[in-house]
Amino acid sequence: MARIYQVPSHTRLWLALAVVLCSIPQLVKGVLWQTGLLALVILIRWLVDHQRLTLPGRIVRSLLLIGAVGLTFFSFGRLYGPEAGVALLVSLFALKYLEVVQQRDAYVVIVLGYFVCATALLFSQTLGMFLYVLLCMMVLTTCLVGINHSDTRASGWVHGKRAAMMTLQAIPMMVVLFLLVPRVAPLWNMQVGGDKARTGMSDSMSPGQISELSESAELAFRVDFEGEMPSRGQRYWRGLTLSHYDGRTWQQAIPQGIPESQYLYRPGNNKPDWYQRIAEQRESGLPGYRYQVIAEPTQRRWLFSLDVPFPIYGDVALAKDMRLVANRPVSERFAYRVESVPAVAEEIDLTRLERQLMLSIPEDAGVKARGLAQQWRLESPSAEGIAQRALQYFREQPFHYTLRPPRLAMDPVDDFLFRTRRGFCEHYASSFTFLMRAAGVPARVVVGYQGGERNELGSHLLVRQYDAHAWSEIWLENKGWTRVDPTAAVAPERIEFGLREALENSEEGSDLLDDLGLRRFSDGGVLALVSQWMDYVDFRWQTWVLGYDSVFQSEFLGDLLGAVSPTRIAIALIVSVGVLMGLYALFLLWRTGKAKQTLMEREYWRLHQRASERGRPLVVGLSPMQLCDAISEQWPQAAGAAQSWAKYYQKLHYDPASPPNKQQRRHLRRLRNRLYKLLD
Amino acid sequence: MLMPAPIRNLYERWLARRLPPARQVVLDQRRIFIFPTGYGFFYLLVSALLFIGGINYENNLILALAFLLASLFMVAILHTFRNLSALGMRNGDSESGFAGEEGALEIVLFAQRRDHHCVWLRWPDQDAQQISIRRGEEESLWLNLPLPERGRVTAPRLRVESRFPLGLLRSWSYVSMDHYCLAWPRPQESPDCPADGGKENQQSFSSGQTGNDEFQGLRNYTAGDSLRRVDWKGYARGRGLNTKQFEEPVGGRLWLRWDRLQGLGEEQRLSILCYWILQLDPQRQPYGLELPGLTLAPDTGDVHRWRLLDALASYPDF
Repeated sequence: MARIYQVPSHTRLWLALAVVLCSIPQLVKGVLWQTGLLALVILIRWLVDHQRLTLPGRIVRSLLLIGAVGLTFFSFGRLYGPEAGVALLVSLFALKYLEVVQQRDAYVVIVLGYFVCATALLFSQTLGMFLYVLLCMMVLTTCLVGINHSDTRASGWVHGKRAAMMTLQAIPMMVVLFLLVPRVAPLWNMQVGGDKARTGMSDSMSPGQISELSESAELAFRVDFEGEMPSRGQRYWRGLTLSHYDGRTWQQAIPQGIPESQYLYRPGNNKPDWYQRIAEQRESGLPGYRYQVIAEPTQRRWLFSLDVPFPIYGDVALAKDMRLVANRPVSERFAYRVESVPAVAEEIDLTRLERQLMLSIPEDAGVKARGLAQQWRLESPSAEGIAQRALQYFREQPFHYTLRPPRLAMDPVDDFLFRTRRGFCEHYASSFTFLMRAAGVPARVVVGYQGGERNELGSHLLVRQYDAHAWSEIWLENKGWTRVDPTAAVAPERIEFGLREALENSEEGSDLLDDLGLRRFSDGGVLALVSQWMDYVDFRWQTWVLGYDSVFQSEFLGDLLGAVSPTRIAIALIVSVGVLMGLYALFLLWRTGKAKQTLMEREYWRLHQRASERGRPLVVGLSPMQLCDAISEQWPQAAGAAQSWAKYYQKLHYDPASPPNKQQRRHLRRLRNRLYKLLD
Repeated sequence: MLMPAPIRNLYERWLARRLPPARQVVLDQRRIFIFPTGYGFFYLLVSALLFIGGINYENNLILALAFLLASLFMVAILHTFRNLSALGMRNGDSESGFAGEEGALEIVLFAQRRDHHCVWLRWPDQDAQQISIRRGEEESLWLNLPLPERGRVTAPRLRVESRFPLGLLRSWSYVSMDHYCLAWPRPQESPDCPADGGKENQQSFSSGQTGNDEFQGLRNYTAGDSLRRVDWKGYARGRGLNTKQFEEPVGGRLWLRWDRLQGLGEEQRLSILCYWILQLDPQRQPYGLELPGLTLAPDTGDVHRWRLLDALASYPDF
């Protein structure tokens, strides 16, 4: 029994629409020839569907296929890999659409459409893209409905409505499955776009690097505090510590001979001594901040956190220099939760090798600066005293905080300290650290971000690239590593209010700010409110949807179900899907709805009702003529009007040739109204 | 479906018990079965692939897409079921045919609660026919039925199937209609007409029944008169309803008799009678039929011929 299904004509448009909609996200970021190919395919299909052309034969289609593969290879240099693979998929999608004749072909196109939608999500995971993909899904479902509706007279809009209804019914179930289906660990590792360059902090600091970052308002990370949030002046997001200085550039360094397992603590591994000490200290109930960070991709492994972070979840490790390290480069948005306890910093010791590293400065750099430092050392015996002297020096001498510092000559340290005296945070942090080391105080540069802007809607914090900052830490005998921010001595408003205010007060004025586009929520107005809302939605999308990983899930399910066990999850899954299906079944199967009256029926019943109200109740089931007779009997004066109504009604209602048009129905209504006046 | 014979028997018996024959059937959850089609399994496979992709790329949105596909499938179960549920079917007319050829049965489908789209109906091993029924309307469908041998051919189990709306699932039901088609005997040529005819038989059949050859006059119509004999032309001219009366034909009536075929097998007798009915019919001479247990008065015309053929088909249980 062979049935030959053809794709019905009422579905052709939907199919074309689905192909175009699904392809658009890839075409926008893809190569131009892909758009050309799709346009060609759509044109050919259109001509074929309007009988202007026969369907291209196998030879033409094969040539197109070979062409698409060749162009893909030409454009990407290979046929595998994410970009080339997606380009190939989209081309195949278009070419498969070209040869749709039977229902089976349409199924293949629709299934390819699902994959094309999935690849769109591979490259962009915004809320907007997801909504767009949902729209594509709805159109694909419409195509499914259409190809299964073999009545030739069916209407395309009805398919659309049906598909929309089904998709809307499927969405709550999708949410349930999304929340409850256990997240499994990846079966094998796949990463997309791992070699893309990104703006962000690099692992070294030379003059000019951070001021460059400050020209970008791009998002660095967001923070969601569980309880109170530290004040702006205390929000130092540590990223990296830089301990090695070559006279121009500060670099990250670990003292030689220390194994990684001693330096880095990964939750679950052996605890190094220093971690045991700070962990014990933390147990003693010191105050801390709990928060979740959602970091933008940096392609780097380091992460940002407040002083002495303890990882709560996320694939992260803690290094001895009180910073977090991701276990692999952050190539997508990445969420981790930590508790920061500033007070435990004093428990971290400084070994001999570390002290050696933290005091090292190149022999030939900063001769004058060394002299200054030696002098301070003689004047004040304690390390704290020396630091105070240095800050005082920055405060009292004519130092300027500027985003556009002049170029520094051969010896950056001396040149900055004694000649230009105009610099950005990196200059201050660098020279301060140099001075401290020269004076015999172990010191290091810390780079990260400072401050962050609060979104009042979500009470989360936004840290942008222009919040990038550098400061110093010095080792004090009884306090351990202590933060000293020399920039605060020069430009306190930078720390208290942020970069924007700091620059507004400087001579560079706000035109520079406009140049840089450092605009933000607090500028006020509707636009600010909208952008605040957009940020809030995006943030929640990040945390609740994209960040819904196995840890978050088990936490959420723990709250929901009391305890997380496979049986409980299975029961919850079955019950919730069952309840939803039950509700839908009730809605779909037992809902009959009222039988809809036709317009003519309504016309009849109105008169029937009116006559019954005014006079004797009339029996149900009278023909129009009988109704007319009944009326004439009760109201002889209305006989003529009733007669003309009934005749006209019959003429309209029983005319098999054409249903009554609007004008005729209006005339009938007029006749009825005339009759009404005579019934009293 | 390929099944070993014992299992097939068990299945048939179970079906027969579950779905007993009836003149009218409204499909409900007891009668409707539902199972994914090949495309449905393919669709689930795609959903599973997307799930694996989402897991591997750690991409929650691709996971959500996989879940959306799975959810659509679940919702489609209800919608596919709904498309058959509450569909009513009852016996319509039947069209007889000669044994070895095809007859046809009319199935009237009615939709009381909702529209039913793209419903396929078929007998086993026959071509399917598609129909859509709008709510509150009735549609009838003629389904051809092969008639292997003379007699009453009861309707086999009718398969009602639908894949609407997504084609991912097939819902179906077997409907045993208490409906049959008559298979007339296959005509067998025979030189001797098994008929009596002549004036001597006239007397025995003058009882009220009137032959239909020679026009005699008109009388007032009384309820029960054949509509074929109403003087419609006169009625149209406003002369009221009258029934035409006819006189016995000159040639007399012919009686085809079972008894005149002594010594032959039953089926053969019926086949010969059938042959002669077909031979006599064009001759415009009234002929009757006498079978054991049934006598049909002589007459002419299509309806008469069909009545006789149907009598042959239903022999011996009229």
